[in-house]
Amino acid sequence: MSRRTGSVLPVHVALAAGAALVLVPIIWTVAAGFRTQISLLMGDVLFTPIGSNFAEVLWSKTSDFLLNYRNSIIVGIVSTVLCVVVATLAAFSLNRMRWPAWTVHLFLAWTMIFHMIPPVALASAWFTMARAVGLENTFTGLILAHATLNLPMAIWLMAVFVRDVPKELEEAAIMDGADTPHILWHVILPLITPGLAATSILTFIFSWNEFAVALTLTMKQTATVPVAIAKFAQDFEIQYTQMAASAALAMVPAILVLLVAQRYIVKGLTQGAVK
Amino acid sequence: MAEVQIREARKSYGSVEVLRGVDVDVRDGEFVALVGPSGCGKSTLLRMIAGLEGISGGEIRIGARVVNDIPPKQRDVAMVFQNYALYPHMTVAKNMGFSLKLAGKPKEEIDRRVAAAAEILDLSALLDRLPRQLSGGQRQRVAMGRAIVRDPRVFLFDEPLSNLDAKLRVQMRAEIKALHQRLGTTTVYVTHDQVEAMTMADKIVVMRAGVVEQVGSPLDLYDHPANMFVAGFIGSPAMNFIEGRVERGQFIAGCGLSVATGTIADTARTVLGIRPEHLTLDPAGTAATVVVVEQTGSETLLLLDMAGQKLTYLGRDRLHIRPGETVHILPDAARLHLFDPQSGRRMGDGPGTAARI
Repeated sequence: MSRRTGSVLPVHVALAAGAALVLVPIIWTVAAGFRTQISLLMGDVLFTPIGSNFAEVLWSKTSDFLLNYRNSIIVGIVSTVLCVVVATLAAFSLNRMRWPAWTVHLFLAWTMIFHMIPPVALASAWFTMARAVGLENTFTGLILAHATLNLPMAIWLMAVFVRDVPKELEEAAIMDGADTPHILWHVILPLITPGLAATSILTFIFSWNEFAVALTLTMKQTATVPVAIAKFAQDFEIQYTQMAASAALAMVPAILVLLVAQRYIVKGLTQGAVK
Repeated sequence: MAEVQIREARKSYGSVEVLRGVDVDVRDGEFVALVGPSGCGKSTLLRMIAGLEGISGGEIRIGARVVNDIPPKQRDVAMVFQNYALYPHMTVAKNMGFSLKLAGKPKEEIDRRVAAAAEILDLSALLDRLPRQLSGGQRQRVAMGRAIVRDPRVFLFDEPLSNLDAKLRVQMRAEIKALHQRLGTTTVYVTHDQVEAMTMADKIVVMRAGVVEQVGSPLDLYDHPANMFVAGFIGSPAMNFIEGRVERGQFIAGCGLSVATGTIADTARTVLGIRPEHLTLDPAGTAATVVVVEQTGSETLLLLDMAGQKLTYLGRDRLHIRPGETVHILPDAARLHLFDPQSGRRMGDGPGTAARI
């Protein structure tokens, strides 16, 4: 009995510490959204919650936060759909089109290298390119940029999911008279739905959080949430509490998506690990 | 229905030649088994007929058409895979009807044909189930159902029974055979199990290392194997091979065994092939020590040591013999096979071939 407690206790402590590490900053941020700037800067432990920061961020005439929110949702959804569609087709092609092995390896290696480049390094170049073709300050420009940024990760994930679909199923479909689009639609897609969901969620969240490229490619009308949050830090004043309130609001979609779809993420990301 | 003609078929992957010129004729409605050890190219040949593998050389005809460059969907052949390859997200009915749906057949026709196939295969009660809710034998039947709903010209089976347990395998063997007799569809069946081939096929094609070793009816291969490979591959337990020489119509082996071979020229070196079931226990025979006794109830199998020569004996009699005892073995002189030890080919027309039709 004591032996069991003895071995379990450190595990629980470690888990609690891990949870605290993740949760405390979030709780602190949300709490800051309910405080006055003075209370926050004084470092009071106890405070009377106020709703004015949230009201200010959401409804004030000078705040564009709802517009930013809408922009983020549009950019997030469209870039995710684009990215996942391209990634799925690419993964199917890489796995099943009988490319020479070196082509596949070179391609995957390149996507990995691309993924390791900090987006900031690309931002100014993309700004120049976007301006050259008239895509600066447009959703299209930012959507293309986000889809491109997330493609490497999406391709890697989808490549694993597609690879795990048994080849015989595809051959059975060929014998049943299916063309490649049929095989993709009727056989591959239904079987990689969990992977598709996991990849979509991750892609959406990355797009939602992306800052450097969004800052460069957007202006007032097209700014996304992270850009808007950063705007609370100005030259002469940093509006900590409103910043915290908008940050808290920014977490909402991610939390909702995760609550709805977390089983897909776990299922998707562990699929094929044990077979 | 259609005949399948394979002429000089070759397949290579880079510099590796998997099929080195194969000729096979499958007559309309015939059940042909391709057998051979793993890696002999039998599955590759089947996949070439299906259109899943390209043809590096030679020609494959289905009916009157050369299909070398025709995609699988236009060949009108159906294939049953070793691991069934059922679509896991579709019900039994959807699995079976998928090809008809792709072909754009009206829903009533699909339902009717699926129901008819399900009736034949005793799957009517399972049509709404998913593959994971079925047993191995049921999955196997769905895989066959998927093939027969299409009413194809040729059925292709790729080791369809190797994932089933022994008892179910025997049962499905009979079912496939019965299905073939009922539908009469031309069938090419790949297996590494010679018993499956012997029991099911009208004609067996024995392959090794990318070439056809022999083609014939099951009993033809059993009675007149063209070479030592076929002789050893067909029949279970495998044939005994004994090295020796022929002198004045008599085969004489180092182990002391001696048997009349009939009219055959003297040779310094030859290999005698004799099946375990063609050895008899006879006091006039050569002495051998019993090493292992295996009783199955209906048969007795003895592993023998005849002066260093290993032999297998199979008899219907129940024998009360213990390992270490001595028995006397006499080969049935009418069922001998003689082979050239160099080429492995069958030699002359020994008495074993007297029964040739």
